[in-house]
Amino acid sequence: MKSTGGNISPKDLMFAVFCFIQATVLRSGYIIAVTRQDSWAMAMTGFLFAIPIVAIYAALLRKFPGKNLIEISDCIFGPIIGKVVSAFYLFFFLSLAALNAHDLGSFVVRYLMPETPIAMVLLISLMGCAYALRKGIENLMYLSICLSIIVAGAVAINSILVLNDMNPGFLKPFFQMDLMTYIQGTVTIGAVPMGEIIAFTMITPMLEKEKKVLKPLLFGLLLSAFSMAFAMLRDILTLGPLVSIVSLPSFESIRYVTLADTLTRMESIYAVVLILLFLFKVCILLYAFILGLSHILGRKNQPLPNQDHTNPSFNTDQPSNPKSFPPLTLISTALVFFYSLIVFESAMENIDWGASTAPFFSLTYELLLPAVSLLVAFLRKLGKAREVRE
Amino acid sequence: MTRNNSTIRKGALPRSITVFGICVLLASFLTGCWSQRELSKLAIVVGTALDIGDQPDTLKLTAQVVKAAEMGASAGSQKSSSGGKAYVNMSYTDRSVLSAVRGISHMQNRRLYFSHNKVLVISSELAKLGMGKGLDTFTRDYESRMNIQLLISKGKAFKILEEDVDLEKVPSLHLFGMMENQKLNSETAVVTLRDYNIATLSGSPAPVVPIVEMKKDKVKLYGTAVFKKGKMIGELDKSQTRGLLWVTDRTRGGALTVDTEWGQVALEYLHSNSSLKPVRTKDGAIRMELTVNEEGAIQSNETTEDLSRLENVEKLKELMKEAIRSDIENALSQARSLSADVFGFGEIIRREYPKEWEKMKNNWDTLFPQIELDIRVNVKLSSTGGLVRPVIPGGAQ
Repeated sequence: MKSTGGNISPKDLMFAVFCFIQATVLRSGYIIAVTRQDSWAMAMTGFLFAIPIVAIYAALLRKFPGKNLIEISDCIFGPIIGKVVSAFYLFFFLSLAALNAHDLGSFVVRYLMPETPIAMVLLISLMGCAYALRKGIENLMYLSICLSIIVAGAVAINSILVLNDMNPGFLKPFFQMDLMTYIQGTVTIGAVPMGEIIAFTMITPMLEKEKKVLKPLLFGLLLSAFSMAFAMLRDILTLGPLVSIVSLPSFESIRYVTLADTLTRMESIYAVVLILLFLFKVCILLYAFILGLSHILGRKNQPLPNQDHTNPSFNTDQPSNPKSFPPLTLISTALVFFYSLIVFESAMENIDWGASTAPFFSLTYELLLPAVSLLVAFLRKLGKAREVRE
Repeated sequence: MTRNNSTIRKGALPRSITVFGICVLLASFLTGCWSQRELSKLAIVVGTALDIGDQPDTLKLTAQVVKAAEMGASAGSQKSSSGGKAYVNMSYTDRSVLSAVRGISHMQNRRLYFSHNKVLVISSELAKLGMGKGLDTFTRDYESRMNIQLLISKGKAFKILEEDVDLEKVPSLHLFGMMENQKLNSETAVVTLRDYNIATLSGSPAPVVPIVEMKKDKVKLYGTAVFKKGKMIGELDKSQTRGLLWVTDRTRGGALTVDTEWGQVALEYLHSNSSLKPVRTKDGAIRMELTVNEEGAIQSNETTEDLSRLENVEKLKELMKEAIRSDIENALSQARSLSADVFGFGEIIRREYPKEWEKMKNNWDTLFPQIELDIRVNVKLSSTGGLVRPVIPGGAQ
């Protein structure tokens, strides 16, 4: 297990952000139900909405170089309040990991293996995630480039194959809904898939060029925004008004692919890609949770895979003991497993949550807490600027 | 993975045993899972028919299941080499589609599998009562697909699946192939479940579905059923269906026989397209403008006249224009009498003039018959086929 720090390149981070968001993009039903034929534009406005959020993360990371979000909270709010703020973040990472694991399990059970208990699907998926984390987060980040190529290839091929079923008229009328609907769409996209990249603030201290955080995060978001707009356009053009009533628009539009009665059932490609992306996303969220938990529990001298040993907050005199990590990984994975089993009773509850509560829930952790942290850091004159003066 | 410390801890299992254990565990997953579906346990449905049940508030579902083992025998006969049919029709009557599907399990040892369903035939009797009951299940179910062909039968729908087919082994596959062939004549509105649902969800819903009837044990496509609020309210005949296809830009090919002063001439549609757009008049009203562009060819000349002469070509073009215009006017007249916007005028107005549509949509049923349609037909006869002049006795002299 490689444990040297600073071995994730900005390019890896950019593609990791792309893959991370893409898992939610491919199941865009929750947003298309709101803004219907104009949903593609929400991808771009959502990106604009997410820029200040990412700028806040970048400002925090620049102020406290070499530290992740949990450590930054400790620095800003002190050991007690800092722990409380960190606990909020941990709850958010855990909830996101459980929600995404639940989405993965529901998709597999509903569309692919209806008689398999969801617990079995979740168990095997999460075991895979835990194994991937044991192998090291940096390997996962390297894989993001391959995964991005697979995703882009699958989206492009599927889109070309449904060209025949597309009707440009389905995009009309343009922008006729009331302003509040577009605001809701923008905030939902900005908060739900895009703002969730807050999880990467736990990984950025491992960047080769630690100061260059903003660029890969923003470029990753921009790539995702284009890809999101493209996938939504394809689904709207293929399904027309049906797009706002089906559960998984991309899955339904790809089901129409028939090429000379030979190339059919292309949705299996979509299913494989979606499962890979969900596993990737759950891995990142699980890693953020485990890393944060280890800090809160004061296990700083027992580094996680690929954790930055050069970071002054770690006691590098202590020999690294990789075997100390698995129990925390397994406990956290088990926590995500049980949480994902009880998180929603039904798909209807899940849809209702996504449309009404999720943006506000997410924004509390993605925007409010980091913004308050940054403000307090400024007021208390904490961070790099003060260190330099000292 | 590189270890910092290669020493194996006391009590820990040797690495080889751990790896072996993982391999055994993974191998056990490869054998399958709870959702395994063996081909020998499935009844693959290729066609479905829905009729009114013999009890009140029930429907009869008929599923046509292929016998995979019989499909390999030589084509051209329903009967296989072993003498049996290559399909079996299973029927069950219950209160809903799903309960009828489950009900078939009382009679069969295989589970119905709808992923390969190609056609859904609904009897006109049931369609007049309402299509919702059947179509929602087929749309909502994950197993079924929305690209199945939808048909309305005159008479019992299950009879359509009992057709005595000549060139195929399974009636549903014959019906499906027939629907795919319709672009050759452009006299049938080919409609999938997806098309029907999109039309139902549109601004002015009046979906259409092709009609199929059984005549002397053979099925024949004829005309189009018109729906409103999920119920069949009327029909379009062959000419009206052609008109509908012209307006909705779904004419792809076809033949037209015209009576000229010299005799009968057959023309072929080669390339067609049409565009329909709403135009606001000076008084604020909206009328529709239809432009049809047609490129055709002389396919058969039963006369002795040289049709390659330019003045004759002009006459043929006029006849072609008249025929197209007549079909469109026929269709428009029938749609107005049914007060059913089969052309999707309302949806086009909603897309182009959404604010005006908001004012019109509640009275659309009364406004639609009053909407004017300007028809402009542009015809081009681009070739005379393989012959320039007709074959007439002594014509070479």
